Amino acid sequence: MSWFDAARTRAHLFVSRGASESRTNEEFRFHLDMETDRLVRDAGLPRDEARRRALVAFGGVQNHRESMRDGRGLAWLSGLSLDFKLGFRMLVKYPGLTVIGGLAMAFGIWFGAVTFQMFGMLTGTKLPLPDGDRIVKIQNWDAKTLQEEDRVLYDYQLWRSARSVTDLGAYRDASVNLVGADGGAQPEAAAEITASAFRIAPERPLLGRVLDESDERAGATPVVVLGHDVWAERFERDPRIVGRNVKIGTGFATVVGVMPKGFTFPVAHELWLPLRTDVAGAEPRRGADITVFGRLANGMTLENAQVELTLLGKRLAAEHPTTHAQLQPHVIPYAQFSVENDDMTQVKALSYFFVVVLVMVVCSTVALLLFARAAARETEILVRSALGASRRRIVAQLFAEALVLAGVAAVVGLAAAQLALTRWGKPYLMMAYDSPMFPFWFDFNLSPTTIIYALALAVVGAVVAGVMPARKITRGLGTRLRAGTAGGGGVSFGGVWTAVIVVQVALTVALPSVVMLVRGETRRVASYDFGFPAEQYLAVTLGVDGALDETTAPEASAALGARFSTSIEALRGRLEAEPGVAGVTLVDRLPGDHHDYRRVELMSQPGSTPSWVATASIHPSYFDVLQAPVRRGRAFTTADGSSDVRVVLVDQAFVDLVMSGRNPIGHRVRISSSAQLDSNVADLRWYEIVGIVKDLGMASMAMPQRWAGVYLPFVPGSQSSPKMIVHTRGDPMSIAPRVRELAMAVDASLRVEQVTRLDQTAASQLWLLRAWTRIIIGLTAVALVLSLAGIYAVLAYIVARRTREIGVRVALGASARRVITSIFRRPLTQVTLGVIAGAVLIAVAAIGVANTTQFKGTGIGGLTFGDVPLLVGYAILMLGVCTLACVVPTRRALRVQPTEALRAE
Amino acid sequence: MPPRPQTDALRGSLDLLVLNSLSLAPMHGWGISQRVQQVSDGLLEVNQGSLYPALQRLEKDGLITSEWGTTDNNRRARYYRITASGRKALGHELENWRRFAAGLEAVLRTS
Repeated sequence: MSWFDAARTRAHLFVSRGASESRTNEEFRFHLDMETDRLVRDAGLPRDEARRRALVAFGGVQNHRESMRDGRGLAWLSGLSLDFKLGFRMLVKYPGLTVIGGLAMAFGIWFGAVTFQMFGMLTGTKLPLPDGDRIVKIQNWDAKTLQEEDRVLYDYQLWRSARSVTDLGAYRDASVNLVGADGGAQPEAAAEITASAFRIAPERPLLGRVLDESDERAGATPVVVLGHDVWAERFERDPRIVGRNVKIGTGFATVVGVMPKGFTFPVAHELWLPLRTDVAGAEPRRGADITVFGRLANGMTLENAQVELTLLGKRLAAEHPTTHAQLQPHVIPYAQFSVENDDMTQVKALSYFFVVVLVMVVCSTVALLLFARAAARETEILVRSALGASRRRIVAQLFAEALVLAGVAAVVGLAAAQLALTRWGKPYLMMAYDSPMFPFWFDFNLSPTTIIYALALAVVGAVVAGVMPARKITRGLGTRLRAGTAGGGGVSFGGVWTAVIVVQVALTVALPSVVMLVRGETRRVASYDFGFPAEQYLAVTLGVDGALDETTAPEASAALGARFSTSIEALRGRLEAEPGVAGVTLVDRLPGDHHDYRRVELMSQPGSTPSWVATASIHPSYFDVLQAPVRRGRAFTTADGSSDVRVVLVDQAFVDLVMSGRNPIGHRVRISSSAQLDSNVADLRWYEIVGIVKDLGMASMAMPQRWAGVYLPFVPGSQSSPKMIVHTRGDPMSIAPRVRELAMAVDASLRVEQVTRLDQTAASQLWLLRAWTRIIIGLTAVALVLSLAGIYAVLAYIVARRTREIGVRVALGASARRVITSIFRRPLTQVTLGVIAGAVLIAVAAIGVANTTQFKGTGIGGLTFGDVPLLVGYAILMLGVCTLACVVPTRRALRVQPTEALRAE
Repeated sequence: MPPRPQTDALRGSLDLLVLNSLSLAPMHGWGISQRVQQVSDGLLEVNQGSLYPALQRLEKDGLITSEWGTTDNNRRARYYRITASGRKALGHELENWRRFAAGLEAVLRTS
């Protein structure tokens, strides 16, 4: 490993270069001072003269310094810096290549940096807290349903005995209505949380104190800690807020503290209430969902903690076999979203691979451009070689040039990445995950690892773009040197470059079909047919989960359900009486949104494959309010809401898809409770179809195909977040404040969570689709520009190299057509091959997608016959544009005069 | 290839003189130059500075080491000290030199 030692020494010398320089200076100064002193003392010279003589005797200070530098082995470094200088000069000298190649590389690096940062954020496990990598979450995992079981209040009592995890605590999302200083109620993201949270995230409060264990005891005064933003926006930064009583939900709490800005532990919370975990009568697998967290004890690893929790889990399973037989506690990093994390890892690996491929493809075209440039500089390279430059030095020079280009590209790409992350990162994640809760550990500032990753991409890019062509061009330098100016030889473009151009053109041809696909999706979603004028409706999401002690015991939660159904019905009544309101109804899922997808079996067709249906639970007023009267049969009545009446309504799609057009009224169906028709199918009850309505948005906007819909009666109190649809006479949004006011007046614990115009529910999906359209259009543009530049560069080089031959041929009377044909043959073949490859790529992808069961019959990826001529047209256009790239070099070739040609070389 | 500051013969004898001086006691650069000046009768008269690249080279080869110290009149100076392998090299070189000188003398005597 001598090269390694040498590299280490050099690196050390490079790093300690400053130190060595100052040491040299100090030694020289000391020497000169001593010599001057000696001359003054021994020869009796005046000081100035002595100094002069000492300098003379020392010899050229600068020379000695230089030879010491050389002795330190920095000669190659100064040579390298010369290469970099030359690299910068090349950037300026060839602006076209700089702009095209640099921007293409920058795009690749930009894409790479953004994906890396996003995935780093989504999968990162280190929190920006002290001991941030030792904070964990304990989750119960149901091995049978493969889902998390968050009702762990009972388990939590036992988990607290664990020794491998300290500061064990828990929180529960408990958004509540908070009445601000102005008297208005608004829901705030609150967490009922144990006091240990403030030891996990130790932050000094801005005012007052944080929560304390004593607040959690039964009978303690209700207290609340406010987040900075809530304090600032709702209480006008009142400095005397501590000690005041504020109205939260149906009760009051005393403000004991205000947290500083940015503190949003456990996720994105702004209000903290004590969590009482010692609720009497907590039963296994009952009660509200809570999240348990803690910190790994000193010297303990995640594995140690897992072993201990597994043992505790086995104990619970033995004590409560009915509820806990399949439950297994998992200790995972706090920032990890779920126990099962494999999907994310796969997607991550896949996208990193994609990024590397993208950068490689982009850089191989840049390599082509650099190769053409280097080939045009062949004479320069030959001269350098003749003057004694080794092949390695020449390769190093060309690599340095590519590295400078890649470096500039990296800076541009990283700056663009930061801009994109700050401006679109947050909305993107919020749209993609459809959640306003934004975890505090997500940081959109480029992390050092992202920067290192981007720089590594740049180096890989520089190797591809610089070393590859350099090695090729320096092959057989000696032979060419001997051939001298005989005019023969020269470098030629080989199969690799042909392949690069073909791939590039193929991508340019194939990518627009992706754009078309995404745009088609966008159009489809934008023109989604609700079946009623959705723009006249307001969609209101209500939050109706009660306090923790109301959810634990079965009787309590039943009482809670009854209370909320009364409140909601009252709110519906009050709203309907408003002057601007035409009607108000209730549903569990909004039209156009995702529904529960279940299997349905017809009694008249026993044994047949159950069909897929979307189900919605609706209020009897639903079809009246949506102005879509029942076509046949009858609508629901209030009496249908009781649990022993079993009737359903179906939509037209059900008639067409499930009944094949037959009249369904009077038929009986049974509906599975989940996506599969369960093993207990015999226990399912039969429902009678009593009416048919038109299609009213039972297929979600994300789904391209029609879905059969089945409507069930809305059972009051059974929904945790019912949706209210308000038909207004004017602008729907103008009624929104009134909805909040009325909800507060009816029941202070009824939260109005989301208020949107009904047709705007797909806004986030559209935003995502449009963002992707833009990215793919960018990618296409890069591919197009690169292929054009590549073709142009190759052709320009070929013409330049064949000037003599062309001139001779013209002189010998060759027609222009023959000359053009001979020049064009190659690029034309390449472009044609590329177009064919692109077309094949599209066809394969389209057939592949069409044959994938998941997409079958959905129309996704379905290239309709209408699209084919469009794509053929585009391919012809591509061919034409590529031909244009050949025009300039060809004209140059034809203008070659025979005399000039003979003088060339 | 950077230009060599001295011819090989001079370089060889300079290295030898430096090592020889240091074999007596650790010294700083100027001290070495004074010593070399005395024993070589003006080898460094016009080019004292060329001592330093030589010192750097010897240090890199591990024949001498250096560290900061203070002179008698309390100035900071870099002191050089011969290493074990330096002494070995010196012995070897002196042996070579003596053999060369003896050979040369034999040649001169016969002619």
